[in-house]
Amino acid sequence: MLLWKGRTTWHAIIVIILFIVLFTPSVIRAQQYDLLIKNGHVIDPKNRISAKKDVAVAAGKIAKVADDIPAAQSKKIIDASGLYVVPGLIDIHTHVFVGTKPDKFADGIYSVSPDDFTFKSGVTTVVDAGTSGWRNFPVFKEQVIDKSQTRVLAFINIAGSGMSGKPLQEDLNDMNADSAALVIQKYKDIIVGVKIGHYEGNDWTPFERALEAGRQSNTPLFVECHLPQYSLEDQLKKMRPGDIITHSFEQVAERMPVVDERGNVRSFVLAAQKKGVLFDVGHGGAGFWFPQAVPAFQQGLVPNSFGSDLHRFSMNAGMKSMLNIMSKYMAIGMSVEDVIVRATWNAAKSIKRKDLGNLDEGTVADIAVLSLQNGRFGFIDAAGNRLEGSRKLEAELTVREGKIVWDLNGIAAKPWKQ
Amino acid sequence: MATMLFIFATSTLHSQQIDLLLKGGHMIDPKNKIDEQMDVAITNGKIFQVAKNISPQQAKKLIDVSGLYVTPGFIDMHVHAFNGTDVDAYIANGLTSLPPDGFTFRAGVTTVVDAGSSGWRNFRLFKKQTIDKSQTRVLAFLNIVGNGMVGRFEEQDTTDMNPQQTAYMIKKLFPDIIVGIKAAHYWGDFTQVDRAVVAGNLANVPVMVDFGEHQPPNSIEDLFMKHLRPGDIFTHTYSYGPTVRETVVDDNGKVKPFIFQAQKRGIIFDVGHGGGAFSWRQAVPAMQQGFQPNVISTDLHAESMNGGMKDMSNVMSKFLNMGMSLHDVILRATWNPANVIKRTDLGNLSVGTEADITVFNVRKGDFGFLDIRKTTLKGTQKLEVELTIRAGKIVWDLDGMSAPPWEEELQKK
Repeated sequence: MLLWKGRTTWHAIIVIILFIVLFTPSVIRAQQYDLLIKNGHVIDPKNRISAKKDVAVAAGKIAKVADDIPAAQSKKIIDASGLYVVPGLIDIHTHVFVGTKPDKFADGIYSVSPDDFTFKSGVTTVVDAGTSGWRNFPVFKEQVIDKSQTRVLAFINIAGSGMSGKPLQEDLNDMNADSAALVIQKYKDIIVGVKIGHYEGNDWTPFERALEAGRQSNTPLFVECHLPQYSLEDQLKKMRPGDIITHSFEQVAERMPVVDERGNVRSFVLAAQKKGVLFDVGHGGAGFWFPQAVPAFQQGLVPNSFGSDLHRFSMNAGMKSMLNIMSKYMAIGMSVEDVIVRATWNAAKSIKRKDLGNLDEGTVADIAVLSLQNGRFGFIDAAGNRLEGSRKLEAELTVREGKIVWDLNGIAAKPWKQ
Repeated sequence: MATMLFIFATSTLHSQQIDLLLKGGHMIDPKNKIDEQMDVAITNGKIFQVAKNISPQQAKKLIDVSGLYVTPGFIDMHVHAFNGTDVDAYIANGLTSLPPDGFTFRAGVTTVVDAGSSGWRNFRLFKKQTIDKSQTRVLAFLNIVGNGMVGRFEEQDTTDMNPQQTAYMIKKLFPDIIVGIKAAHYWGDFTQVDRAVVAGNLANVPVMVDFGEHQPPNSIEDLFMKHLRPGDIFTHTYSYGPTVRETVVDDNGKVKPFIFQAQKRGIIFDVGHGGGAFSWRQAVPAMQQGFQPNVISTDLHAESMNGGMKDMSNVMSKFLNMGMSLHDVILRATWNPANVIKRTDLGNLSVGTEADITVFNVRKGDFGFLDIRKTTLKGTQKLEVELTIRAGKIVWDLDGMSAPPWEEELQKK
C-alpha cells in the first residue's frame, strides 16, 4: 500500500516533470515578447524595409521584425494597421539646457525641457546644439540629461560657457579645443560633436579651435549661423566631409543664403554637398524660409536631417514640432520614405550613433508609430508665410526603450467598461 | 478739395480702426449668451466690436474663420508652472513643474492658474522666474504651506501653515496675481484645510483642496458640509484611489447623494485631471447621473503631460465625448473658472475686454481617450486649436490661416 502510494507519487512527479518539459517552452515562448506591434507599415531605412511587418519588443530591445509574428507570443499586442512603424525619430538640433536664468539659453528660460515636446512628436532622441560648453556641461547633465526620459545627446559649444550670451560666448580665451576634446572624451556616450556659432568677430580662431576639438575627438563639427563676418563659401570650404551645417535654408542678413537672387542654388553650396558636408534644416524661429527651401529642394539641395532648433521662440511659431517640419517637406514634394530616412538613419549616421535610428534586432526599442492625416493643411515658415499641403504626420504611439511614453488615442490601452 | 481731403482722411482713419477681424466664425461666449455666427474685431489688444457682420474694409488684417468656433481664451484653473532647477524639489522650483507657454497656446489656453506650487515664502521666486517671463497669463493659488510643494514631507509641517502671512501676501502684495489658497497632500486631519479657510476669509479668496493621502480617507461629506465655504473648490473630482481618497461615485456606481447637495451648496467641483486623478469609472457614471464638474482643468505637470491628460483641449474633448454639449464644455473652460477665481474680466468677449481668443475646429474621426488607469473611452469628436490670440497678438496658428501664401511674398520682391 505504502509502496503503491509511493509509486503513485513518483508517477505523479514524472507526469508533472514531463508536463513541465513539454509545455514550459511554449508557455515561455508565449510570453517571450513584452510588446508586439502588429500589421503596421514598417519603414526602417537602414534595413531597406518599407513593407507591412510586425515588430516585437523584449526587455527594452527590438526582438524581432518579421512578416507575421503570432500574437500569442507577446504579453501585449498593439494593432498598428494603417499606421507607419518607424525607428524613434532623432532631432539633431535642439536647445534643451533649460534653467531659470532670465534671457539666456544656457541654464536659462530660452531653452526648453525635452520631454515636454519629444514624445508627442515621435522623437526619442534629441541632440542639444551647443547650448552648453565644457565649463557648464556637467550642470546640463545633472539638471536635464540625467532627468529626462528622452535620450539627450549633445554637441559641445567651443565657447566654454556655451550659449551664455555676450560677452561670455564671444570670449576667445574661453574657447579651448583641448578642454572641449577632454569633456567629449569623458562623456563620449553623450557628446557627439562640437558646435561653432554665435561669434561676431572676423578672425577664424574660434572656427579653427572648434575644428581642432573635432579632430582631437574624432567627432563632427556642427556649424550654426550667427557668424556674420564669415563668408558662407569659406565656412563650407573649411568644413570636412561629415561636418554639419544647420539653418541651411535661412534668409537673413547675417549669412548669405544658399539660393541666390535669381533663385539658383549657389554652385559652391552644391560643391560642398558633393564633398560630403551635411545640411541640417535647423528650422527654429528664423532658420527656415520657403523661398530658400523650395527652390533648393527642386534643384537637389535636399536636407540630410530635420533638426527642429526647438527652443522657446520656435515652439509656438512656424516650427511647432519635428513632425510639422517633416510634413512640410512632404508638402514640398518629398516621399514618406525619404522623410523617414532623414529623421532616423541619416540623423543617426551624421552623429556617428549607428546604434540609433534603426530597428535591428538587439537595438534599443525606440519606436514611433505615425499616422498620415489627409486633409487641407497649412505650414508656416520663418517669414510668417504659408505653404499648403494635403498630408500631415501625427504621432500615435511612441516607445522609448520598450516603454510606451506616448499614446495619442489609447491604442495600447484596454477599452473602459462600466 | 477740402471736402475730399476730409472724406479721405476720415475713411483712412475709419479703415484703420480694427487691427484684426475674425470673420464668419461661430462664437460661443457663455457670459454674453452668444452661441451663433458672429464677427469679432480687435483693436489695441482689446475686444473692439462683436457683431453679425463687420465690414472687412475697416480692418488692417482679416482672418476668415468660417467653419470654426470662436470662444474666449481658455482658462486652465489647475496647473503646476513653478519650474526650476532644484533637482531635489518636487513641484516648487523643481522639474515636475512646467513652463506654461509650451502647453497653453497650442491647446487654446491663454490663462493658467498655478495650484499652490508656491507658498508665501517662495512665491516671489515663482513670480520672477516664471510668471513675469511667460506670455501666458499666469495666476496662482498660494499654498497654505509657506514653502509650497517642495516635497511631501515638508508639506506636513503645520508650523509652516500660516494663515496671516498667506493672507498678507495676497491682499497686501499680489492681489492681481494670487486668486486663492491651496491645501494639498496633507496626511493628517482637517487642520490644513481649516488653516487655508482662515486665510481665505482673511484675504477674501476661495480655497482649493486636493483632499487625498489620508489613511483611512477623511470624509468628503464633512469637508463639503462642515469645513469648506460656498465658492471653495474641490479638485481631482474623478480620482479613483479609494484607500486614500474618498470617491464621489460609490462602489455600486452611484453618485453619493451628498455630492449633489454639496454642489447645490456652492462647492465648486474641478476636474484637475493630472497623472493620477481622472478615471472613467468615476467620470462616466457621474455624467450619466447628472453630476457635472463646474470647471474643466488639467493639473498639468511633467507626470501628466504625456499620459492620459495631454493638454486642456484633450481634457475638454473627453467631456464632449461623454455627452456634454460644446457650449457647456466651453462654459467650464471660460466663464465658470473666471467666476470661481473672481476674475470676471476674463473668460468672456465683452467689448473692452483684453483680447484673449481661441479659434478651434471640432475634428471628426475615430478617437480614443485615455484615463489614468490606462483604459480608453472611444470618441468621435476632438477639439483642435487653429488659432490662439493673447492680448490681441496671434500666439498660435496651426495651419497658417493668418499667414499669406509664400509665393505671393516672393512676387512682391
